Amino acid sequence: MTKVLVVEDDSATAAEIAATLQDHGCTVECVDTGRTGLVRAVSDAFDVIVLDRMLPGGLDGLGMLATLRGAGIDTPVLILSALSDLDERVRGLRAGGDDYLSKPFEAIELAARVDALTRRRSRSAEPESRVQIGELEVDLLKRTVRRGNRDIDLLPREYALLAYLMEHAGQVVTRTMLFEAVWNYRYDDRTNVIEVHIGRLRRKIDADGEPEMIHTVRGAGYILRAP
Amino acid sequence: MRLNDITRTTGFRIGLLFLVLFSVTSGAVFAYIYFQTYGYELNLIDSALARRAKVLSQYEPATLIQEIEEGSRNDTTRREPRGLFNANGEHLAGNMNGLPKAPFFDRPFEIEVTNPGGSRRVLRMLVHELPSGQFLALGRDMHDLREFHELLVQAMESGGALVLVLGLLGAAALGHASRRRIDAVTRAIRRIVHGHLSERLPAGGSNDDIDRLAAVVNNMLDELERLMREVKGVSDDVAHDLRTPLTRLLAGLERAERRAKTSDEHAQAIQSATEEARGLLATFNSLLRISEVESGARRQGFTSVDLTRIAQDAVEFFEPLAEENGISLRLNATKPSELVSGDAQLLFDATCNLVSNALKFTPKDGHVVVETRHVGEEVELAVRDTGPGIPEEERDAVFRRFYRSEKSRHTPGNGLGLSMVAAVAKLHEMKLSVGDAAPGCRISLIGKRVTASGQS
Repeated sequence: MTKVLVVEDDSATAAEIAATLQDHGCTVECVDTGRTGLVRAVSDAFDVIVLDRMLPGGLDGLGMLATLRGAGIDTPVLILSALSDLDERVRGLRAGGDDYLSKPFEAIELAARVDALTRRRSRSAEPESRVQIGELEVDLLKRTVRRGNRDIDLLPREYALLAYLMEHAGQVVTRTMLFEAVWNYRYDDRTNVIEVHIGRLRRKIDADGEPEMIHTVRGAGYILRAP
Repeated sequence: MRLNDITRTTGFRIGLLFLVLFSVTSGAVFAYIYFQTYGYELNLIDSALARRAKVLSQYEPATLIQEIEEGSRNDTTRREPRGLFNANGEHLAGNMNGLPKAPFFDRPFEIEVTNPGGSRRVLRMLVHELPSGQFLALGRDMHDLREFHELLVQAMESGGALVLVLGLLGAAALGHASRRRIDAVTRAIRRIVHGHLSERLPAGGSNDDIDRLAAVVNNMLDELERLMREVKGVSDDVAHDLRTPLTRLLAGLERAERRAKTSDEHAQAIQSATEEARGLLATFNSLLRISEVESGARRQGFTSVDLTRIAQDAVEFFEPLAEENGISLRLNATKPSELVSGDAQLLFDATCNLVSNALKFTPKDGHVVVETRHVGEEVELAVRDTGPGIPEEERDAVFRRFYRSEKSRHTPGNGLGLSMVAAVAKLHEMKLSVGDAAPGCRISLIGKRVTASGQS
């Protein structure tokens, strides 16, 4: 079971986050200052830390993060912030954060990102050169894709989309996550366009008669899994 | 207006300062001229006396007496008295009665004498000791020079008084005028403070300091007034445009409360309420984003951005959608890169909004072209479509928040896309314009080109 530490000073937001993550099957511990957060993060093994950027008292989110990384603790950290600035995002990631989510966010978005971080931790051994899910096979070095005996020709963006979906196979990936990872811009509500891109990719991956591998999760995003 | 007020004005003080400066300089010039002239005149008199003494001292004693007597007879007005005295100071000849007490020989000095008529006069005197031991005394009436001196002093006094009076009056007039201008400006500002935002500071028309200041303040007021109008317009629009989905949301929930029986019906109601609320949140996010852009804070993070790259990304992003709608979407760039100083994310968002709009209004088999090119020192990014175009009279309005033209009323969207573009354009100091592409429209963003370091 995934253990999550939530460092958030606003009790209502903290309760909301805790409820979301518990529904998602995580055990959640909430603290409300950077100092206690630091103490807890050091003394116990968490899978993910959800960290508010602005915290009361002497130690704010980024300060706590820096101290944590300084102490050699590499628990994945998802930074939450009311500041939607692109610079803020960059600053957060540079301070040692692994992902960044600006408030207000949707529950599903938070859950998907926490999932992605957990997954990254459990897997990040050495860079693989091949990924296989079911009969779908991606050669990350040659950038070739096969499903069964069929070679699949993908455009660069389609390949990037598929690679991201494969990397997060079996877990929900939101459109925001896809957009940020594949297009490198921040997401600004272009839902239906991403859908069209996925649609194209899906037509190439799931040919007529083959069981579907890329599934749409209503109101959330997409999931790739073996049929 | 009290006199006290005038004396405190800058105009009056400057006037006063100039008066003092003028008085001091003109006094100095006057004194210089006076002493120079007076000294010159005195010098003339002294050398005339010395010359006369020298000429007379060369006569034989007998001719000398004769000469003096003759000269005295001609000097009826006693302007140039002369006399010859023996060693004991007794009068020998001439119209000078007694030997004046000379402090020294051969050097001019002044004495006061009483003429036979009773009038007192000042004489410039020279006493010369002749080789025979006799004394020769020569005088020159100083009346003319004295008169000149008095005239000069008088002129200076009256002129000074005139300058003083005129100067004070001038300073007071200056003070009064500037006081009146300031009062008028103050009154205007008071009215503005009390809410008459259309009031403007009065200008004198002479383009002086106060006028220039007033012009700057008036410009500021124009901008303020425009912003106030905009803010009011926006909050009206926000209220109006959010009321509709909120009403819909509420109606849906109430209906579910009254009628929904099965859990399926409840789930359905909750889902449509969630979608409605999500739409509202998206609208709010867009509004916040626009105002964040408008605040100008992001200007700090500007870097050199390649507009062609941005256009390419946007085209690539929308290409599948265009294809699905049967529209050809392509990039037309004259050069591989066109650099401007800006925020890549925002420029991408703005370009996406333009492309998305163009795709929305272009019919099947139409074309949308994103162009980048540079003209001189400017770079243009334009999106051209073969849609219905935007009528001339709506071209400004489309950038207003929540503006939906008649044609777009039934298409999806919140009416904020082009407002975002306008805000981004303003942040980047780019010129945003809507043109006719006949058919269709062409929206262009023109900004200043920057050159990569070292290249042109």
